[in-house]
Amino acid sequence: MTGLEFPLALFLLTNLVVALLAAVRGPTAADRMLLALLFGTTGVGILVLLASAGGGSALVDVALVLALLAAVTGVTFARRAWHAGEKSDD
Amino acid sequence: MIELVSTLLLSVGAFFYFAGTLGLLRFPDVYCRLHALAKADNLGLGFILLGLAIQAESLAAALKLVLIWPLVLAASATVSYAIARRADTLGIKPWRREER
Amino acid sequence: MNPVMMIAILRRGALLSFLWWILTEGRRDAWVAGFVAIGAALWLSLRLCAPRSTQISVGGLGAFLGYFIWNSVRGGVQVALLALRGRRALHPGTLELQLNLASPAPRIFVANVLALMPGTVSVRLNGKRLRLHVIDERMPIVAEVKALEVLIARMFGERV
Repeated sequence: MTGLEFPLALFLLTNLVVALLAAVRGPTAADRMLLALLFGTTGVGILVLLASAGGGSALVDVALVLALLAAVTGVTFARRAWHAGEKSDD
Repeated sequence: MIELVSTLLLSVGAFFYFAGTLGLLRFPDVYCRLHALAKADNLGLGFILLGLAIQAESLAAALKLVLIWPLVLAASATVSYAIARRADTLGIKPWRREER
Repeated sequence: MNPVMMIAILRRGALLSFLWWILTEGRRDAWVAGFVAIGAALWLSLRLCAPRSTQISVGGLGAFLGYFIWNSVRGGVQVALLALRGRRALHPGTLELQLNLASPAPRIFVANVLALMPGTVSVRLNGKRLRLHVIDERMPIVAEVKALEVLIARMFGERV
């Protein structure tokens, strides 16, 4: 622990909130889909920092499960696109 | 020594998150914002994980942190492509320099 | 039991045991539960993904990972600098190119991985035609996509 973990976790949280507001504002529906990306990367980053800042290693497990679920969701997306793409275009 | 390297890696990671958010705010359309978020945030996470892994108590604990990275990368890669395809299906035209 | 199955069981068992060791952070008292979990995962993996149906080359995977990590750093640094400089630094455009990979799985893989490579996001993959959004039209994108394609072909045991 370097003492930097907690401040950095707060910094990432600020980043997440700012980015969240920007993404929700849009202007298009696709912009709002960026939220899915944000929660994956920034959320996991905050969790591992908090785990190291004294939150306990259970938070690393939470981060790992979150990442795993995000990956499974992503791969399901890709597979669906694959099957759809072979027949028609969306 | 490890503390110093760790501090450095964590700071670099935080910088990339900051750059990703900055790109999200400043870039003109959803495609460019995707570039910023997908690439910068993932690199930020990579540096943060590395910074925490080198100060982990055991090798297994360090590897566990590093294992998170490919999972998030897989998610980001597929979700980015899905968003870009959706934007294209919605008929969103990419921003071009000449149109200004 | 045939040798292919034996090798698959040994390889996957070793991989899953390694994974369990990481997940439990090397705790010894977790191996009883681990034995059950690894057995179940092994059985499931053999049922869902029979040995030799998709063979990933280990050397190819290593080469790809090296290329991937280096280029995701490059891509991240580049887009971070662009974000610092703002909108006036952008020269975005679209690019259409033809992939040479024969089977669909590696093509989908290329399309997805490109989202993390310098300057590219895949917009649409239609058969072998891939449309990209590039953040800077002046970059040598086509050459980089081809290089990535060659590595991925090697990993999937294909020739381009």
